[in-house]
Amino acid sequence: MTGASANMQDLATPLVALTGADYVRVLHDAVAVAPATSEELAAVLLFAHKNHLTVVPSGGGTKQGWGHRVTPAIVLETHRLNKVREHTWQDMTCTVEAGCTWASMQAALAQHGQHVGLDPLWPDRATVGGIVATNDSGALRLRYGGLRDLIIGMTIVLADGTVAKTGGKVVKNVAGYDLHKLMIGAFGTLGVVTSVNFRLHSIPQCTQNFTVSAASAEPLGKLLLALLHGQLCTLAIQLRGSGAGFALDIRLASLAEVLRTQAPLLAELAQREGLTALPAEEEVWLAREQLFARDFACKGTMLPSRIARFAERVRAVGGESVTQASGIMTAGFAASAGERLSQLRAELEAARGSLMVLKQPAETNLDCWGTPPDSLPLMREVKRRFDPEGVLNPGRFLGGI
Amino acid sequence: MLSVAILAELREAVGVDGLITERNQLQTYECDGLAVLRSLPAAVVLPRSTAQLQAVVSLCARHVIPFVGRGAGTGLSGGALPDDRGIVISFARMTQILNTDIPNQRITVEAGVINAHVTQRVAATGHFYAPDPSSQTVCTIGGNVAENSGGAHCLKYGFTTTHVLELEVVLPTGNVVHLGSPTLDAPGYDLAGVFVGSEGTLGVASSMTLRIVRRPETVQVLLAAFDSIAAAGQTVSDIIAASILPAAMEIMDRLSIQAAEAAVHPHYPECEALLLVELDGPAAEVNLHMEQVRALCKGNGAWEDRLAQSEQERLLVWKGRKAAFAAAGRLSPDYIVQDGVIPRTKLPVVLDEIAAMAAATGLRVSNVFHAGDGNLHPLVLYDRSIAGQEEIAIDLSMRILHLCVDHGGSITGEHGVGREKQQAMGYMYSEPDLDTMQRVRCSFDPENIANPDKLFPRPRLCGEKTGKYTPHPLETAGVAEFF
Repeated sequence: MTGASANMQDLATPLVALTGADYVRVLHDAVAVAPATSEELAAVLLFAHKNHLTVVPSGGGTKQGWGHRVTPAIVLETHRLNKVREHTWQDMTCTVEAGCTWASMQAALAQHGQHVGLDPLWPDRATVGGIVATNDSGALRLRYGGLRDLIIGMTIVLADGTVAKTGGKVVKNVAGYDLHKLMIGAFGTLGVVTSVNFRLHSIPQCTQNFTVSAASAEPLGKLLLALLHGQLCTLAIQLRGSGAGFALDIRLASLAEVLRTQAPLLAELAQREGLTALPAEEEVWLAREQLFARDFACKGTMLPSRIARFAERVRAVGGESVTQASGIMTAGFAASAGERLSQLRAELEAARGSLMVLKQPAETNLDCWGTPPDSLPLMREVKRRFDPEGVLNPGRFLGGI
Repeated sequence: MLSVAILAELREAVGVDGLITERNQLQTYECDGLAVLRSLPAAVVLPRSTAQLQAVVSLCARHVIPFVGRGAGTGLSGGALPDDRGIVISFARMTQILNTDIPNQRITVEAGVINAHVTQRVAATGHFYAPDPSSQTVCTIGGNVAENSGGAHCLKYGFTTTHVLELEVVLPTGNVVHLGSPTLDAPGYDLAGVFVGSEGTLGVASSMTLRIVRRPETVQVLLAAFDSIAAAGQTVSDIIAASILPAAMEIMDRLSIQAAEAAVHPHYPECEALLLVELDGPAAEVNLHMEQVRALCKGNGAWEDRLAQSEQERLLVWKGRKAAFAAAGRLSPDYIVQDGVIPRTKLPVVLDEIAAMAAATGLRVSNVFHAGDGNLHPLVLYDRSIAGQEEIAIDLSMRILHLCVDHGGSITGEHGVGREKQQAMGYMYSEPDLDTMQRVRCSFDPENIANPDKLFPRPRLCGEKTGKYTPHPLETAGVAEFF
């Protein structure tokens, strides 16, 4: 049952009993509820589960448009679960509630010179829970890995109200299944994450940014591979491409004395491709966010050796792209590119990659996910076991999950 | 016992030379590295291909026969212990390296390929495969994937799960599926992430695509001798606090130093605690960081610090460390290796408590540990021939694990739960946590035939209700009904 067919006031009354009247809001065709604890959240989910009510968990709302559209009866807001609960800086771990914004978490951790080594989109508004659900990551992935490498434990609430802990608070731990990996990138279809344990890294003492520009992507692709196989202290690398040309941004991180010796080495590597490395501003690393101003925004995945080729392909369709060295591209296109995105997807899939459509104009109807993998039946079975009534974000995920 | 008809089907699947049923030959497979637990399987099969493997698993699914995969049988928690009604699937004949992609730093191997052979294959281009369990010269990648193996260098480089990109898996239903992808962030659930470390309970992997890593420009190993484990432990914390991320940090106590010295003569200094710090990376960075590390060692009272002067010396240092378990045999006729994890800062207090617990039982416990990530390997030394001592040793080793959990840690950092630590899982996780894992298990293996009666506290069938019911706090408070 979705909100449209329920009487909103009738729906609100039992929720008020669970969280208090101050935290339930009747919307046009749904009810928003903001629980304060995992247990309250569990009670809300159990209520939805028993009454077959569609639930959409919501953090900062920055990525609610990603995946297929879901019409909720209950919008489950996490903004009251917003605390950095523990920062055991000597052990370099922390526990953060899901509704905490990324930036406020990082500000708390920075007091001890530490951070979660991940640079997601819109950190001022995006919450830990939403970033986990969508498995977002930026160029720092090269050095620190993705969320699957940084998360060591979680508290999750399943659709039937089961509150479960997975993993723990130590970095090395092989006891039981890594259930937290299952929740990362699951778009809230298996359960609601209420808190996350991260492993932390020291914030680099000294960094330096460089940009190498070229009219075509090919020499930059070669330089990118040379850097991946080389010995420079690269913290992040990304290839930007647009109608104006291409740029490879490189961020080095080490001790100041070391960086003094590394800058000339980078210049030399660039020189070999007939290119010049120039100092760059910090802002180049925000380029990914700007692509979401376009009509279409996509996430492409590819092998590192194909980055330059696909950056050229995106430009040929009139798009702009920012691709991390690990092979994850964000691309923006004008509405006119719509037809050609299916072709681009086919090419990426043929190269063992993928294309996810994150944003599209209301009038187009591209599948968000692309060709499902041969493990789709297994994914469906996992979904069925975790959420038998299908109340959590039904239909949002690939294959109609 | 398997029926004649089933044996004929197995023979059909893997060929006459791929099936073992003779009792004396089966004995090779009756235990893994946890030799105290033994059980003779009904049959052993040695498939040569994914197709043969699939045929075997399909047969198991049809007849509801338990099966367990087996690489080299070096696991330390009884994960490869056979079921006496079941089949052991050996990967000894699936040892092909299928593809090497140096530009993208990836390699695809069959499950029976030996860990060290992966590095050997890519060494010429300056690459290596990072996970390095002490048994790496014999253990297989398939076993590493099942156990999510670690090693000394996972402090910096991560575990097996960090390095597995794609898996070809034969599910307990007999279906072959691909989990993950050679590219990152494949759309869909991260089933590869759940499969790695599932200890054979979700199916068997036939091949896998792994990430390989460029070899660092410089590697340096420092040995520092301390008068107490606490001082060595403090140095570890200080190094981390100085924003240095070593490739490895290991501590050995006096007993384990003696054992290693006797076994492989690594020329360790004689001391109460030996700290081994390996730094790698660009030469300029390693040199500066090593100066800092040496200063921190001195500051904490290290009376000797010695930098390995050559690659040979460095390898010898590691040989001593990696021989530590086997060398325990020189200290005592029998021993149990444990694998607890604690938050790094709890090292001094937990080690004191372990020493007190050991003293109370009259048994000796030697300690070797991956200090950088708080992974302890206490070795409980005992003599089986003395009546009752084995029970005391087992009890002590389990109490050590409970102690790790009490201090916010884990019962296993890299050896797995297997048969050995099933009950300790119930100490570490609550019923809802385990039930949630069971939902995954039942999605993959509804008939409970993939390595049954491992990992979980007791065998539980899909759909069965939890034995003991514990009311949820909200329920007790009258806020919600039955969870």
